[in-house]
Amino acid sequence: MALKPVTTPDTEAATIALNIDGETVTAKEGVSLYDVISSMGKIVPAMCYHYTFDPFGSCGMCLVLQEGKKSPVRSCTAKATEGMVIRTDGEDLFAARKKAVEKHLSVHPLDCPVCDADGHCELQDMAFEHQVINLANAKQKNIPEDTRSLVLDFNMNRCIACGECINICKDVQRIDALQFMKKGGFTQVVAKGDHALDCEFCGDCLAVCPVGAITNKFSKYVYKPWQLRKTTTTCNYCGDGCQMQVETKDTEVVRVTSPLSWKNKWGDRGDTINGHGGLCVRGRFGFQFIDSKERLKEPLIRKETGLVPVPWIEALDTTAERLKDIKSRYGSEAIAGLITARCTNEELYVFQRFMRTVLGTNNLDSSARYGHMNFVRAVHHALGINRMMNTSADITKAKAILVVGANVTETNPVASLRVKTAIGTYKASVIVVDSMQTNLAKLASHPVMVKPGTEGTFVKGLVKSVLEQDLIDSDLVAQAPEALVALKAAARELSLETVARETGVPVEMIQDAARVFAEAPRSVIVCGEGILRQHNGYDNTLSLIDLAWVTGKLNKPGCGINTFAEEGNEQGAVDMGVAPEFLPGPVSYGHATARQKFSEAWGSALPDAQTGKSLIEILEDCRAGKIKALYVVGENPLATLPKSFGVEEALSQLELLICQDPFLTETAQYAHAVFPACTFAEKDGTVTNQEGMVQFVRPALDPLGESALDWHIMVGLANGMGHSLPYETTQDIQAEIRKLLPGYYNLGQPRPVVADPTAYLRNGYADSVDARYAVNGHARESGRPYGLKLIQLIYHSGKLSTKASGLMDIAPNTGALRMSLEECERLGVAEGGRVRVTSDQGSLELEVQTDVNMLPGTCAFPEHFNEPPVKDLVRVVVDPVTRVPYFKTTQVTIEKM
Amino acid sequence: MDTQNQTKRLLDAILFREIWKAMKVTFKHMFHRPMTFQYPREKRTIPDAHRGALGLLRYDNGQERCVGCDLCEAACPSRCIKVISEEDKSLPLQRYASEFYIDITKCVFCGYCVEACPVNALAMTKMYEYSTHDKRTLLFDKKRLYEIGEQHLEDAKKYLYAHNQEQDDEESRAYRYHFPQPIGKIEASDS
Amino acid sequence: MAYLEDQRETVYKVDPAHPETKDLPILRTEELLLNMGPQHPATHGVLKVILDLEGERITKSTVVMGFLHRGVEKLAEHGTYHQFIPHTDRLDYVCAMYNNFAYCRAVEKLMNVTVPERAEYLRTIVAEVQRIIGHLFWLGTQALDIGAMTVFFYTFRDREILLDWFDELCGARLTTSWYRIGGVERDFTASLETKIRDFLAYFPPKIDEYVVFLEKNRIWLARTVGVAVISAEDALGYGLSGPTLRGSGVDYDLRKYESYGAYPKCEFSVPVGKNGDTYDRYWIRIEEMRESIKIIRQCMDQMPKEGPVMAEVPSVTLPPKNRVFTNLESMIQQFKLFSQGFDAPPGEIYCGTEAHKGELGFYIVSTGAGNPYRLKIRSPSFIHMGAFDFMAKGYMIADAVTIFGSYDIVMGECDR
Repeated sequence: MALKPVTTPDTEAATIALNIDGETVTAKEGVSLYDVISSMGKIVPAMCYHYTFDPFGSCGMCLVLQEGKKSPVRSCTAKATEGMVIRTDGEDLFAARKKAVEKHLSVHPLDCPVCDADGHCELQDMAFEHQVINLANAKQKNIPEDTRSLVLDFNMNRCIACGECINICKDVQRIDALQFMKKGGFTQVVAKGDHALDCEFCGDCLAVCPVGAITNKFSKYVYKPWQLRKTTTTCNYCGDGCQMQVETKDTEVVRVTSPLSWKNKWGDRGDTINGHGGLCVRGRFGFQFIDSKERLKEPLIRKETGLVPVPWIEALDTTAERLKDIKSRYGSEAIAGLITARCTNEELYVFQRFMRTVLGTNNLDSSARYGHMNFVRAVHHALGINRMMNTSADITKAKAILVVGANVTETNPVASLRVKTAIGTYKASVIVVDSMQTNLAKLASHPVMVKPGTEGTFVKGLVKSVLEQDLIDSDLVAQAPEALVALKAAARELSLETVARETGVPVEMIQDAARVFAEAPRSVIVCGEGILRQHNGYDNTLSLIDLAWVTGKLNKPGCGINTFAEEGNEQGAVDMGVAPEFLPGPVSYGHATARQKFSEAWGSALPDAQTGKSLIEILEDCRAGKIKALYVVGENPLATLPKSFGVEEALSQLELLICQDPFLTETAQYAHAVFPACTFAEKDGTVTNQEGMVQFVRPALDPLGESALDWHIMVGLANGMGHSLPYETTQDIQAEIRKLLPGYYNLGQPRPVVADPTAYLRNGYADSVDARYAVNGHARESGRPYGLKLIQLIYHSGKLSTKASGLMDIAPNTGALRMSLEECERLGVAEGGRVRVTSDQGSLELEVQTDVNMLPGTCAFPEHFNEPPVKDLVRVVVDPVTRVPYFKTTQVTIEKM
Repeated sequence: MDTQNQTKRLLDAILFREIWKAMKVTFKHMFHRPMTFQYPREKRTIPDAHRGALGLLRYDNGQERCVGCDLCEAACPSRCIKVISEEDKSLPLQRYASEFYIDITKCVFCGYCVEACPVNALAMTKMYEYSTHDKRTLLFDKKRLYEIGEQHLEDAKKYLYAHNQEQDDEESRAYRYHFPQPIGKIEASDS
Repeated sequence: MAYLEDQRETVYKVDPAHPETKDLPILRTEELLLNMGPQHPATHGVLKVILDLEGERITKSTVVMGFLHRGVEKLAEHGTYHQFIPHTDRLDYVCAMYNNFAYCRAVEKLMNVTVPERAEYLRTIVAEVQRIIGHLFWLGTQALDIGAMTVFFYTFRDREILLDWFDELCGARLTTSWYRIGGVERDFTASLETKIRDFLAYFPPKIDEYVVFLEKNRIWLARTVGVAVISAEDALGYGLSGPTLRGSGVDYDLRKYESYGAYPKCEFSVPVGKNGDTYDRYWIRIEEMRESIKIIRQCMDQMPKEGPVMAEVPSVTLPPKNRVFTNLESMIQQFKLFSQGFDAPPGEIYCGTEAHKGELGFYIVSTGAGNPYRLKIRSPSFIHMGAFDFMAKGYMIADAVTIFGSYDIVMGECDR
């Protein structure tokens, strides 16, 4: 049908005028009449309509009278045409709509009391609004409830066959997991093929179901809408920053709902370019960690008998005394701090101020170091910006999208819908470069499967191909002709055949991809962990910038280079200067004016400009005994980094390890002081999403037990050390940030960034480019034929989601190595068979699980699980420039047991 | 004013006539049956419609009527009811109240919960003597409410009849088969 | 403190013209400030009045209210329209039925609901029974306050009969909540009808009995005749209503003016006083009881024998329970009305009802939501207390009790 959107970036629909209830309205030709009516502020009841997908027209409620037609027409499926005269109100229409409601009611079961949708049910609303009484011929369907799926129950007795669930799954999610099926005399919604539903479980079908036909297993029968308190907050799982409503009953989280719902159905399809308001499986069903029984409730201090619960005052006092002692004995340099990027901006800001002024050290880092920092450093260095360049609208409207090493449907499911919409609605060409068959690759026009770890080589191949095919954009290159000369010279040695051999991609495909990318009017690059978290991530990002630069995709509207942040507030951690190389802003730590501004504002001198250690250096120094005290906020390096890196030795060397976390993590087992922290659902503050939007986090619950907000603990520690941080409320911190970083909050809307590569291209570009394009940049470890990848699952995010029982139900740790069927057959192992996996670091016996998404020659294991310790097979490689640790891929041999 | 009238008024005043007239009424009441009764020994007859303490009811076969729909909580003007519902895993589509509290110290005895209940699981009884030294015991939980319902079953039924919630036992039995409906359940076969 | 210092100075100031009087105390008159209440048995609750006395005469009185403030108007904003009915019971807690009636009428006016005929009669009968109860309660307590104790026993005896009748009708003696938006909760039973007819026969002679006690009693006359006189003009100026206004000779009764319920179908007269003193107000209340009996009798005779007692407007009124069990549409109606209430059309409405104390009005501002945006109660007790200073000026301390007694104040309604 594709009634909407009629106006795309490429075509403009004609404007027409029509008459609705005596008013003349202008609209775009071809849009649904229902949209035109609702744009006037008139609400015509409709049960099967939702603005995010094409009108379906099954409920028969949205009837209007068109002049010249005898019977009422369904306004949703009717297109607006010039000169229409429409009446939307009247006794006759009311009666006709009432008839439609009665039709649905007559086969609806009498189970409002037990239905979860009761009180939030469109059928109830419609029946009440149309004053239906004394129905004739009511009958029951008696269809058994389908409880096979792990997450959703389907009670088809209640279904009104509006098709909203099917449509949103098909049109918005492009997963198409549901279908109508005639069964037992009734049209029912079933999972494709009438199996147990097995999909991404984004739950959008649940959100748009206007009745109680689809219900959520995790909160089934435990609530009624009027018992719940809704708190609108921002999801903490990934950098998309989806808005969500945490619904709580007393002290427990009952469910999470999205702004997307059947209730919120009047919108413009054009609006969805910024997002449809839905959530992913993690946001919607992964809330159980918030009120988990495992949460820490009291501060613990290590005594002879181990970690002992103590009152807050004692815990803070002891810790502060010991910090003071270490500072006086070994100097500030012997203290370091790590913080997770899931904290709010305010907490990150207080953390770096606490570290830099109270403890006087620049040894601080956040979990953005695991990969995001590569991107930030690269664009900071080359383009003078600090985050991704495009908005989600740009991505949706792009004509060509290059997705490199980013399994965005798994890491950032909601942002990936922008790419999906670009493919489906705006017909964009998408080049997906990955070493496994990602969901996006299945939808993409140009799926490019490379060998594991060669995404960077492929990017260089693209640059080479652009140069060979002369797809160079003359305007941009003209600004720095000498840089182009340098690039051409650097890439001379590189031949496409070499690239093809290394990556396993035919030359034609590289040429083709380069052409598609360069020739599109609006091209967007999205890079992910396949680039940023693997060998030479920094260099490869610079190569991507080269590609964008030579093809002129850097500062044209709608073009740019982007990454999707993996943890909730990675961008905020960078912006708040939680890295040794940055001050809040971020500005370079060595920047003299900025240093002066901050030291004046904080009333304290900053640590020397040359000092400061990053994550890896901190841990190495701990191991070497140079760092004596480590303050870890929400981080868990022991569980994150492979064993060979020696985190365990490093932690046991410490004189004082302070852990501040909602859970007693592996790292916290080694701690001398453990402070119970809050989860995002108890916090008040802001987070910055990958697009730079600053969004609110609002407390849905009171802090559990005695757990406290992270910044409260930091202020408490500072007080214990005799310094006072002048904060009493989150607003105090925000006021300070507002003063020091004017415009940072900017009403939630990010300032547009302008990439300016001139300085980079003119100064020193020629010196660095040679090394990047050197042939054989990626040396393969010989003798080990299989590439082992530590992958991310859609159902999980970091280690946090493993505390959410809902997500663990959906995706438990199978403990099995994922391999393609083909490869399993070659090895002669069946599903569940055992193999021995050997890398340079060690050997492990594992079960095998077939995975259709894996390519031959690769195997994978989810990075979220440490049992069995597959991560220990990988060696940590540290980026020479950005000090980012790479430990997501390695080469292994696999033998059948 | 005529003299006769004036004389009468004067006499009335001198003789305190109005007092005597009033005393006559009072004396008459000396031979009247007392209007009061001695409470702990004698008790009022409580009418069927009386709104006393609340009780929860069961069907004849012992099944709990309450399905935990929480409408009583929504209807309560003094917010004294708290229902915690759960899925009854043994039966498909069965929701039940795993916990049910009425804070009788907050209750205003308006009877809205009974009116709201779509399964007539609640009823008011003629029970009014539950004063205690410990206020905490006045938070009636599910067990206590079912006990009250059982002890005062007849009163509860009469209450329902009196307030047009039900007509007779027969009707209550008939309703049971309308709700909740018995439907099957398709379960995952492999796990 | 400074005030006290000044006082002391005045008392011991020596008159410079007569130095020989230095050691003598100076005789002088001074105003006495008397705090009456809030804990005072005659204040009908917790009312505090600060009286400026000159001797035993009141020169000025300041009424301090709010000791029984419970935020009822605010509570109304947080519940559905239906949920507020039990809260109205607690306004004038001795006459809950009339509060229910006044509130329901206001909401019906807002929602444009017409009440079935039988329900109108039932409502009128019960409202008049409540008026009798109210007047009996007033008569007993007013006589008690003034010093005549016996009447109190007799009026309370008869009030008891009616309260038991209420218990049988709706299940509670005081907190009735029997009226519903669109009708009444429950129809009369045969036993209730018999009992009320018995009462109609029983009650009129009893009124004569009370009158015997008071009408010519010289103490009663001395304490009421010519006490707290207010002219018709002043009474109107102070916004008085009910017997307090009619005592001053203003013929104003909403039952006649607004003619709600079944009143237009009944014949009754509105007693009007002449002097505007406490005695006239007493007399009006006695006469009103007789009129109420007349109204009840007429209603009982005229009332249709059968018929619905609840309007059937699916978007406002509750469905009958037997339909809830069997029909989905009624089940939905039940759930919607109890969990979300009905959405009132946006607008403002005022509806006054003639309660036995005076005009009880509900002013509702609706923004189209399921709960009132603002609900203001015009309670006669509160308005009447405004005239207290004016009416008490020049009377004795002992009359203060008579005066606010003669308004028939109940602090639950006054402070809300």
